[in-house]
Amino acid sequence: MRYVVGYIANARGHDAVNLAVSLARGRGAALDLVVVVPEVQQFGAAHSPRAGFENALQEQAQEWLDEALALVPYDVPAKVHIRTGDSDAHTLIGAAEELGADLLVIGATSGGIFKRFTIGSVASALLHASTVPVALAPHGYYRQEALTRISCGLGNRAGAEKLLDFAVGMATNREVPLRVVSLLALGVGAEGDAATAAGAAREYAERHLAAALPAGKAEVRAETKTEVVVAHGRSIEEAVDRLEWEAGEVLLIGSSRLATSRSIFLGSTANRILRALPVPMIVVPSDYELKQLNHSASNDPSREAQS
Amino acid sequence: MSTEHAMSRPSGPGQKAGHQAGQRTEEQHGLSGKGLKAGSVGLIGAVVIGISCIAPAYTLTAALGPTVSEVGVHLPAIFLVGFIPMLLVALGYRELNNAMPDAGTSFTWASRAFGPWIGWMGGWGLIAATIIVLSNLAAVAVDFFYLMLAQLFGNPELADLTANLPLNIATTLVFIALACWISYRGMETTKSVQYVLVGFQLLVLGWFAVAAFSHVANGTAFDATAIQADWFNPFGVESFSAFAAGVSLSIFIYWGWDVTLTMNEETKNPEKTPGRAATVTVLVIVIIYMTVALATLSFAGVGDTGLGAGNPENQGSIFAVLAGPVMGPFAILMSLAILSSSAASLQSTFVSPARTLLSMGHYKALPQKFGRISPTHKSPSYATIASAVAAAAFYVITRTTSENALWDTITALGMMICFYYGITALACVWFFRAEAFRGAKAFFFKFLAPLLGGVMLLVMFVKTAYDSMDPAYGSGSSIGGVGLVFVLGTGVILLGVVLMLVMARIRPEFFKGRVLSRGH
Repeated sequence: MRYVVGYIANARGHDAVNLAVSLARGRGAALDLVVVVPEVQQFGAAHSPRAGFENALQEQAQEWLDEALALVPYDVPAKVHIRTGDSDAHTLIGAAEELGADLLVIGATSGGIFKRFTIGSVASALLHASTVPVALAPHGYYRQEALTRISCGLGNRAGAEKLLDFAVGMATNREVPLRVVSLLALGVGAEGDAATAAGAAREYAERHLAAALPAGKAEVRAETKTEVVVAHGRSIEEAVDRLEWEAGEVLLIGSSRLATSRSIFLGSTANRILRALPVPMIVVPSDYELKQLNHSASNDPSREAQS
Repeated sequence: MSTEHAMSRPSGPGQKAGHQAGQRTEEQHGLSGKGLKAGSVGLIGAVVIGISCIAPAYTLTAALGPTVSEVGVHLPAIFLVGFIPMLLVALGYRELNNAMPDAGTSFTWASRAFGPWIGWMGGWGLIAATIIVLSNLAAVAVDFFYLMLAQLFGNPELADLTANLPLNIATTLVFIALACWISYRGMETTKSVQYVLVGFQLLVLGWFAVAAFSHVANGTAFDATAIQADWFNPFGVESFSAFAAGVSLSIFIYWGWDVTLTMNEETKNPEKTPGRAATVTVLVIVIIYMTVALATLSFAGVGDTGLGAGNPENQGSIFAVLAGPVMGPFAILMSLAILSSSAASLQSTFVSPARTLLSMGHYKALPQKFGRISPTHKSPSYATIASAVAAAAFYVITRTTSENALWDTITALGMMICFYYGITALACVWFFRAEAFRGAKAFFFKFLAPLLGGVMLLVMFVKTAYDSMDPAYGSGSSIGGVGLVFVLGTGVILLGVVLMLVMARIRPEFFKGRVLSRGH
């Protein structure tokens, strides 16, 4: 397993590295730290040959990567790469595809004052075009230990099966509990319907979860602890706030139906969840299939124990 | 571990260096390092880059008037002669760029050749020249911005807004701030935009020339003047002072051309493209300069009244005055061409002082913060903002002290270019002194050409500096009985000396030659 980390030499980059380490530890994955430097053009640079600045950029990027590498603890393997490209997002996606990465990790926010997540332009471009899942680290994410729980946000639209398959696989591989979360925004006058709506949502989530859990393999089924939670509030933000979140938790969200197949497009609901969420979020492209369910067998088991 | 290609981690500080060296090698030879260059350019692309760096519409409107005031009808001759030192110096510039590609250009090269002190001043000259041109570019853009508004709404009063001092300064500062912001964000004018801008400039300048000549033919010109062979005779210029001033101004109009010679790896055919591109660029530029210069002289004459090219009122920005009478309703195209080319140049020129400052910060010749690269935008962050502040300050000072700020800044700029190009050319001669006599080619390119060019430019610099002490020099502005151009030019250089001495006290490392060593 390889995770590509889009590194920026500031607090946002540190958030990303921490999250990547945390994710890698539960899975024995290796990190590829990538700094994107722009293509230096001769167009639009008068009185200054480009070669010199290019060297300065490469040198600086190498320095940044050395610093980034120092943030990664010794038990997590990591490599560094300098990539050249005009768009950070597209260059990162290119790197992820080329390196065969299973996940792209970035710091989502430049630190809004009131909102935990303020989507930066790179993150937002990534969310619109990535073909691999994108993990977004919230502002100030410092945790490096392995995950303790996985939450999967379920909407009531098509594509839920794929997302649940992915979530079950992830929880099984990491041997952590899975919580299926149904988030409901109920209008002010609709409090009376809350119980009915919650019941329907729970029934829906449980049905899909049952379908997603591998029926034949009893031991897998037993290993994966699952629960279904319905959270509601006047808005999605309030519903998210009402849930309790573990420090070592991530929320999985499927991309919107608007996305072309195999790429991520964050729907407005997901966007609103992101703003209220205190834990990292992983956005999975529609139709994305987890490559290796039960992959943990081929992984070094001692690694899982270590973390 | 199953992750076989994962790097082994250093277990102690001793291993760290080796591990990093290995890393670096991998980066350089791997896919992620310098491999195939995307966006390499062909001949046309290189020519477009060259022309866009020169920005002919802007340079003509800024330099034509001041040059006419110095050399009168010998303008075409001076424009031709001015190219010679530029060519000679650019040849040396190319040699240095090939041997030591560095973002600090003149600063780094002069430091390597002559040591830290002259190197620092070479860098300062380059920064000062680009800062001055930034303030002039912004001012020209503002003039044509208001002129275009006036043409657009058919209300001539709008064009006069630029003469309103507080408004003019405020607008100029906004333009500088915008260009700085774009530069800070690491955004660059794209190839296709440059193609359009360059094509448009050449088209409009051609249109201007044709329209002017047809006025002359129809007898509707302001002061129809027949073209004479004497206009092309540089020795017809009445005095050496006028000649020196004219040449240092015409250095400015070719400034930026040298970039075509330094494009090697970015061209599709590094052997041939740069040389050809430089040749084609200069041919295009000379043709357009000659045509426009002749058209202007034929149409307006060099008289100092009305539309005459010698009228001090017209010196700052000749096309602002002439485009209307010559092109009629289409004058708005000229405003648009100059506004767009000076705005694009404003943004692209920001890169130059910022990168030089970055390099000086990196080599510890300036405080460390100048060497910062923005992690998010990958641009020289502190240096870009410092350049903008300096350009804004320079403009405010010139605008409030000079009767004709544009004119005086261009003259001071010519001096400053002569100064740092002179140093750069001589740095080439000195740096390659050991190789200079290893064959005719080396002798010409590394020794003779830069030596001649450098000496010529430094002579022009000294002569112009001396003459500009006269309070009547340039636009005739003066401070304490000394010409403003002198005060600006030498003031900037002296300021550099002072800052250098301060730096030498607080960060002596560079000045002891420990950072950039002399010689190969």
